[in-house]
Amino acid sequence: MIEKTQIIINKLGLHARAAAKLSHLANMFNANIFLIYNEDKVNAKSLLGILTLAASVGNEIILQASGDDEQEAITAISDLFNRKFDEES
Amino acid sequence: MIKSLIITHGNLGHELIQVAEKILEQKLDIKAIAFDWQGDGSDMIAQLEKFIAANKGHKIVIFTDMFGGSPSNIATRFINKNVEVLTGINLPGMLKFFCCEGKTEKFMETIKTVERGAIEGINIISEYLGEKND
Repeated sequence: MIEKTQIIINKLGLHARAAAKLSHLANMFNANIFLIYNEDKVNAKSLLGILTLAASVGNEIILQASGDDEQEAITAISDLFNRKFDEES
Repeated sequence: MIKSLIITHGNLGHELIQVAEKILEQKLDIKAIAFDWQGDGSDMIAQLEKFIAANKGHKIVIFTDMFGGSPSNIATRFINKNVEVLTGINLPGMLKFFCCEGKTEKFMETIKTVERGAIEGINIISEYLGEKND
């Protein structure tokens, strides 16, 4: 299992469209992937689960993955966060 | 494959589809039928019959806006082993259905997952956050 701390840098945080992109990406991997924020831990493959975090810009979350492609999953998801979910120039 | 349609009072179904498509950034395979306020429901019945006939051999889920409303009551007539009705559909329910996590091979299991997603999407925020608000 690997973990990575990730800061949310897009203005709207983990809103609906960002959560949709994130869950869609997470579903491409075999690994079990979770997002941890405060006391909450949700399945990164669940759009509605991600939304319950209500995480905003500047918040720090932990990406956690376990499985044969865990490294690729964390790298790809972290990249999506760092690209601001491709919604800002 | 499960085929779906949403039947509602007015254009609610069309709007729900448009919003879900915007969020998911994809065209969704779902048909919307609006209840004609001036009519007696016969047009909706005809469109439902046509949709079900065109999708023979598929499982079909009919989403409606409100249990007990005309669209829901009309849809209820069509329930059989291949057709099920889920009332009170909302945006979380729609997203659940069209997201990977909502899709399973089992018809009723998928519908129950969507039902759960729709219900869990309704929250009093202060209670959800464990705060008290009088």
